[in-house]
Amino acid sequence: MKFLTPKKCLRACLAIAAAVTLAGAIAAPVWAGGSSFGDDDEEADEGPAYFGFVRDTGGNSISDAKVTVGIKNRGGVVTRSDALGTYRVPGFGKDVDTKEVEVSCEKEGYKQVKTFRRTAPTALNVPIIETECTLQKG
Amino acid sequence: MRARTFWLVAAGVLLLARVSSSGVGAQSPAPALTGEVSAPDGGAMEGVLVSAQPSGSPVTVTVVSDQNGRFAFPPGKLGGGRYALRVRATGFELDGPRAVDIADGKPARVALKLRKTADLAAQLTNTEWFMSFPGTAEQKRALIECMSCHTLERIARSKYDADAFMPVLKRMTGYANNTIQARPQKRPAEVDFPEDRARKVAEYLATINLSKSEPGSDKAWSYALQTLPRPTGAATRMVVTEYDLPRQTIAPHDVRTDANGFVWYSNFVENELGRLDPRTGAHKEFAYPVLKPGFPTGSLALEPDPDGNLWLAMMFQAGLAKFDVKSETFQLFPVQKELNSDTTQESLLTPSHWHVDGKVWTNDVRKQAVLRLDVASGKYEFINPFALTPKGRQHSPYGMVSDAANNLYFMDFGDENIGRIDAKTGAPTIYPTPTPRSRPRRTMMDARGRVWFAEFAADKVGMFDPAQEKFTEWDVPTPHTYPYDVFLDRTGQLWSGSMSSDRILRLDPRSGKSVEYLLPRPTNIRRIFIDDSTNPVTFWAGNNHGAEIIKLEPLD
Repeated sequence: MKFLTPKKCLRACLAIAAAVTLAGAIAAPVWAGGSSFGDDDEEADEGPAYFGFVRDTGGNSISDAKVTVGIKNRGGVVTRSDALGTYRVPGFGKDVDTKEVEVSCEKEGYKQVKTFRRTAPTALNVPIIETECTLQKG
Repeated sequence: MRARTFWLVAAGVLLLARVSSSGVGAQSPAPALTGEVSAPDGGAMEGVLVSAQPSGSPVTVTVVSDQNGRFAFPPGKLGGGRYALRVRATGFELDGPRAVDIADGKPARVALKLRKTADLAAQLTNTEWFMSFPGTAEQKRALIECMSCHTLERIARSKYDADAFMPVLKRMTGYANNTIQARPQKRPAEVDFPEDRARKVAEYLATINLSKSEPGSDKAWSYALQTLPRPTGAATRMVVTEYDLPRQTIAPHDVRTDANGFVWYSNFVENELGRLDPRTGAHKEFAYPVLKPGFPTGSLALEPDPDGNLWLAMMFQAGLAKFDVKSETFQLFPVQKELNSDTTQESLLTPSHWHVDGKVWTNDVRKQAVLRLDVASGKYEFINPFALTPKGRQHSPYGMVSDAANNLYFMDFGDENIGRIDAKTGAPTIYPTPTPRSRPRRTMMDARGRVWFAEFAADKVGMFDPAQEKFTEWDVPTPHTYPYDVFLDRTGQLWSGSMSSDRILRLDPRSGKSVEYLLPRPTNIRRIFIDDSTNPVTFWAGNNHGAEIIKLEPLD
């Protein structure tokens, strides 16, 4: 069995990295002057979407609350609840562990008191993960 | 560094003294040209653009006729001499006279007669072609990228059937983004050609062009040509000055003025930074070296840093360039080897707060990524802001601004998001726009830290308030405008321009009321700029396909 010298190993690693980068690039959009024939998204490799209600402690819907769906220290997606108090965020990539995804909500004059994931953390291959976020006045 | 000075033709320089800017050098008001425009039936015509260009001069001044068909070039705009006259009034052309002599110090008057045009199609804007084309919104959506390189008239007048379109579309995919008809540039790396999607587009294009028209038939297209109305009321209260640039291969992309009254622009297809002095017409170019021989040349974004120096995003030359305005020298920052491939493309950047942490934000289009340049070391850091978004969706970090802490806000031109990257942690936050598939494009940050942006594919302009983390959107008044950029002026009016409609939008976000100023020529607009130092403010942009700089002065 042959082993690569550190120098050759570095070269091989760089070659692999370059190939991976190029492969990613070819699949990426071209836009102006290129092959953007409409919105040419590939079939999205999505995990489940994140959906739910923002309510107060009395169970009333709260509209226009900021809802953050994300992973601690890795960033996230921010949206707002609609007139019915619902929010929806498209799914992250399938490689994202849904157990790591946190939902939080905010609104001026309120503080978050609870989030409740209605979809069981053990549920697999579900299209939507529903999480309710509860705010309390004050 | 190579610097070259191009003076606009010698006679032009002399004539430029006559076509002076308003209030500049106008010690005694030059005689104005006034007149009336009448229709073939003799009636007065409102909203006709009347342009006057001194013989041999690269400068053209345009005004618009009022509700009584009268027009007037304000004092100081035209001097003595012989002027060629032209008009823009869709459906009509100038019957005569086509020239007028203005004697120094003596007002001239001319009566313009129009006649019906024999070739309405030649006068249509891209927006009007979109309005005219049959088909669904989805079918038309595929065409919005075509305008980056050419007009839709080119498609409409073609005679290809669907089969013949396929190799044409494949050839198009091989052109770099920074291509204009005067200078096509080949994309260095082969790109994917999705046959199935291209076939759908080809089949649609064959239904809107002349492939099925009978030879000799006077009914060229199977559909009626739709036109937008001529300007009325406030939209007629403007003066446009066009400055022709000395080569057709100058493709001004981003245009901005500086405190000294110079107009700077990036050239999309050549490695030159351009500078125009609108007071004298002097034009100078500053060349920067080719970093990647054989790759497309030219730059897209032109942005100033806090010292007033200018930065360029060098597209396929793969890097950023900093131009020291005082020494007139460039410092180049090539993307390092590990990140530099045949597809590397830096189109946008923001150096506006690089003093905070020594970092300049830019992008790599094909990798759907953000890059951050450490100015001291010259090294770029690769940041994937879409790690938490669904795979398979197209993204493209495009328009960029940074806040006082150098946190980045970028437009996801490929999709429907505004992204924020925290300068300290590098963590991205994605804010989907209220309108899906909006493709936000260029952006600016106002003095209150609010992010204004154009929603290219949604026909909207928007504002994102980072303090509230909230969006507000406004429809643009004309469908198929495809706004490229926005600029909020000091009075709170929002301006926008596009590649499509030949119109400049001025929107009051408080009332939602707007005015659209028609430009005198087909004008492919990219970055827009407002000079807030004048009263009223002055609008500047480049005509990316027309080798000219445009100044629009509203009269109200």
